[in-house]
Amino acid sequence: MRDDPVVIALVRRAAAGDQAAWYEIVDRYAQLVWSICLRFGLSGEDIDDVSQSVWMLLVQSIGSLREPAALPGWLAQTTKNECLRVLRAEHRHAHAGLPFEDQLPVDPDAVVIDDEVLRAERDAALRAAFAELPPRCRELLSMLIRDPPCRYEDISATLGIPIGTIGPVRGRCLERLRRSPHLRFLWGDGIG
Amino acid sequence: MRNSGGDEERLAEFSLGGGDEDLLAALRQAFAARRAVPPEFVQAGQNAFAWHDIDAELAQLTYDSTRLTEGAVAMRAQEEAAIRVLTFTSAEAGLQIELEVQEDALAGQILPMQSAAIEVQTRTGTDQPISADEVGCFWISPIPSGDFRLRCRPVAGCAEVVTTWVRL
Repeated sequence: MRDDPVVIALVRRAAAGDQAAWYEIVDRYAQLVWSICLRFGLSGEDIDDVSQSVWMLLVQSIGSLREPAALPGWLAQTTKNECLRVLRAEHRHAHAGLPFEDQLPVDPDAVVIDDEVLRAERDAALRAAFAELPPRCRELLSMLIRDPPCRYEDISATLGIPIGTIGPVRGRCLERLRRSPHLRFLWGDGIG
Repeated sequence: MRNSGGDEERLAEFSLGGGDEDLLAALRQAFAARRAVPPEFVQAGQNAFAWHDIDAELAQLTYDSTRLTEGAVAMRAQEEAAIRVLTFTSAEAGLQIELEVQEDALAGQILPMQSAAIEVQTRTGTDQPISADEVGCFWISPIPSGDFRLRCRPVAGCAEVVTTWVRL
């Protein structure tokens, strides 16, 4: 994906001591750290251990990242390294003398973190684009993405719009979402 | 982590070239992914900001004698079960802290051996500093209940070290 100026700006601000920027970075990419831990079969205390280390390592090196736009990749690689550290620490006790790689619950090479990075970048961009929609669009789309989905009768009653207009309004809101600068980096060729 | 030319297919999977239904589904998934992360997990990450202007190296838990993978058996089960030892390591600071859990105290040692000031931090505050003697030995008594971490400042003035939070 091409460099996302939003990410670059967040990194710069956090490095300068802006706490709000840091909070936003964590909010944006917590899912990435979380999902990679799950991929390595970690749970509970081990996830907390990895998480502590990853964020502390980031907060201490955020001012010197070589490629601020590659923050998601940095987080993913660091999380993977920390997961392996935790697994290695357990292994040392339980399997002295046996090869580490043979005893892992999962094959590290098979854990494809690139997918997690792409997914996290896409999800973060979608949420950021959504946040910038007009309130009426956010209200409508929120009701439409609920699981199970809201019935059009309920949407009509809640938002005070005729049922017949829901379809067209939905279309217009999604088009606004689609054209958000946040999503420009997610298109294949063509739009954006 | 930049994508090389061979990743076009995977990139396509994550792009948003579809119609309205696909876009709605992607939006739904984006919020579900965020919701799947426990709030405490996010909070803990945000709290790490407290360290942004502190120059300490992180010492991570690299060994815990009681941690076993599922189905594994301790090599010397009875001896291992009697003594719990934790080791924290900071490669950057070139320092390790070992903690041995005794009945009502923690016996600690800094390696390589050196004097240091040790602070025991809990979630609510910091206790009276303890000193590690010239062979790096120190005692923490009573054993902290709940989460705690150690801040270690070697007297010789090399890197300050903070361990990750741990709960016994």
